[in-house]
Amino acid sequence: MSEVQRRKYSQEEKNAIFDGEFMPHIDSMYNFGYRLTFDEDDAKDLVQDTYLKAYRFINSFEQGTNAKAWLFRILKNSFINEYRKKSKQPAKVDYQEVETYYNSDDVHYQTTSDLRAESVKDMLGDEISNALNSLAVDFRTVIILCDLEGFTYEEMAKILDIPIGTVRSRLHRARNLLKEKLQGYAHNMGYNTDEED
Amino acid sequence: MEMNDNPSGERKKQCSDESKCFELLESILDGELQDSGKEVLKEKLAKCQPCFEHYHLEQAIRDVLKTKCTKHAVPTELADRIREKIQDII
Repeated sequence: MSEVQRRKYSQEEKNAIFDGEFMPHIDSMYNFGYRLTFDEDDAKDLVQDTYLKAYRFINSFEQGTNAKAWLFRILKNSFINEYRKKSKQPAKVDYQEVETYYNSDDVHYQTTSDLRAESVKDMLGDEISNALNSLAVDFRTVIILCDLEGFTYEEMAKILDIPIGTVRSRLHRARNLLKEKLQGYAHNMGYNTDEED
Repeated sequence: MEMNDNPSGERKKQCSDESKCFELLESILDGELQDSGKEVLKEKLAKCQPCFEHYHLEQAIRDVLKTKCTKHAVPTELADRIREKIQDII
C-alpha cells in the first residue's frame, strides 16, 4: 500500500486492473460509503471520487495485491479529508478526541453486559443495523471493516493507518458499545437478560 | 489463564483471568489465531462458564452483523457514471 510509484502500466493494463480488480468491489464500496454518510448521494460521490482517484494513482497499486483494502483506504481518506469538511453536520465524536481517549491499546476486557446470545440471535436486521448506525463513526468503521467486510486486523491497520493493537482495542470497545445498544433493544422486547433462564 | 484439570466436568463459575481470556477469545473469533488458538479455545469453553458465555455472545454478535445487516443495492447508473468520468481523464 505504499504510495511509491513502482512502474508504469500501459493503457491496456490499466483498464484490465480497473475492470478486473477494482470494479468488482463497487458493492462493498457503496455500502461502506452509505454506512459512513447515511446518504445515497454522498455515498455515490464518495465511491465515484474513490474510483477516479484509484484510476489516477493506479501506478502506485501493485497488481495482485489486495485491491479491496487499497480502495477502502482511499475511500476512508476521502471521507475524512473531504466529506467531513464540507458536511453540514459535524461528526458526533471529534476524531482527535477519539484518538486521544479511546485509542489506548490498554483495554481491560471484561463482561460489560448481561446480554445473552439467544436474545441477539432473535433480533431483526433493522435493529442490528440501527444499533450499528448509532455508533460514532470510528467505532462503526471498525465493525464494518471486520464483521461486514471480513478484513483482517492487519488489513484494517493499513486501511485506517493505526497500529494493530489499536485495531484490536477499538474493535473491542466498538462491540461493547454495540452490545449496550442491543441490550436496550432486548429489554424493550421483553427479553429477560438478567437471569440464567 | 489457568489450565487446571477439572475432573468434575463442570465449568468453573468465575474466570481467574477474564481480561486476558476474553481478549484471546475475541481474537480467535476474528480469525486472528488459527491452529494455536483452537486447542486453547476447546479447553476454555469446556472449563470456564464466563468464557463459554462470552464466546457465544461474541459469536452471536458477529453472526448477526454478517447475516442480518441490510445491504444497499448499488445504484445502477453509478458504475456507468464512473466509467464515463474515466474516459474523460484518459
